[in-house]
Amino acid sequence: MKPELPADTESRMESAISYLMITGVIISLLLEISGMVLYFIQNGNLQISQTSGVFIHGKDFFSFIYQVLSGKNRNGAGITLITAGLIVLILTPFLRVVLSVIYFSSEKNMNYVWITLFVLVVITLSLSLH
Amino acid sequence: MDNMIALAGISVLVGLLGSLTGLGGASILIPVLVLIGIPVKEAIASAMVTIIATSSGSAASYVRDRIVNVKLAMFLEMFTITGAIIGATITTIVAPVFLYFFFAAFLCTSFLKLRAKGDYKTVEQDRISKWLGLHGSYYDAYHRKQVDYRITNAVGGGLGMLAAGLAAGMLGIGAGAFKVTVQENILKIPPKVASTTSNFIIGMTALAGISVYLFSGLLNITLMAPMAAGATIGALIGGRLLNRMKDSHLRILFFLIVIYLIAQMLYKGILAL
Repeated sequence: MKPELPADTESRMESAISYLMITGVIISLLLEISGMVLYFIQNGNLQISQTSGVFIHGKDFFSFIYQVLSGKNRNGAGITLITAGLIVLILTPFLRVVLSVIYFSSEKNMNYVWITLFVLVVITLSLSLH
Repeated sequence: MDNMIALAGISVLVGLLGSLTGLGGASILIPVLVLIGIPVKEAIASAMVTIIATSSGSAASYVRDRIVNVKLAMFLEMFTITGAIIGATITTIVAPVFLYFFFAAFLCTSFLKLRAKGDYKTVEQDRISKWLGLHGSYYDAYHRKQVDYRITNAVGGGLGMLAAGLAAGMLGIGAGAFKVTVQENILKIPPKVASTTSNFIIGMTALAGISVYLFSGLLNITLMAPMAAGATIGALIGGRLLNRMKDSHLRILFFLIVIYLIAQMLYKGILAL
């Protein structure tokens, strides 16, 4: 039998992180699979390709998201769906850090506010620069 | 072999192995990709999604079951991300050949503690671990007991993570094996906590390289889609299995992959000489 866990504040954060990650992972999985199905319908095969249309390119991650959202990538619906799935996948751990900062701030646990804020700043910088 | 279904199938296995051992799985997949004729740089860039998929897919279960030490993960992330960014920046200055040998030598140290079981029960907590409340406990579903542990040498562990981040940034890998070894040998935490916490962290290390790869134009959708989907499925399965497995079985799995990685690093190092 699994012992009853105390409903302490730390376990609340753990449930929130766990919930966020499973949601992100499932959404990205569904987008990738439906993207591959569409790709198959459009191309008639699922071969690994080296044509220029299957490569994604962006100045940095955030401007890439903007680029995709504004519909500037015209490579077919299949590739667009897969790209959306990959963006969700990449955003999931990023949002996990954002969530941790918010959580520790609300708990006024300053040591961890600084630790998570440091990680957030560094990761945001690395995603905005190339 | 060169179709997406086959690659997705291999990726399921990689995601499963990665989630059970705390390794991202990119270092297993990259040689497979090169074997089917994908250019090395494209393989390294695209395989990074495998690391993120393995990490997030299994972390959901590991965090919910409270096996991951979330506070420790966040503390260690500071070091590993800093290392990853420095590594990615200096990779053009320092020849990676030294790093291959350093990495191989370091992985060999993971064998030193093979017999030293139960270290974590007797360790002396250091001041930083105490101040940050890094100790933890989890319920082990195989051994059917609550495991309480303390952490020692937080500074040494942080420096180890910095080195792991450097290696990851310079070689374009997750360096999960390195992270597991640092946690088990320096911080002295139980094996399941080490592999799940490493799993949690590697996703963040992989994020650090994304924009560089996006700019380089090496990211191939027809590689990334099956790898990400496959690794996610494998990691979701692994995330449900790990806690029901015996510590020693997980260790054997880890060491088998580490032996393969050491051979791979030595091979690359000798080629680069």
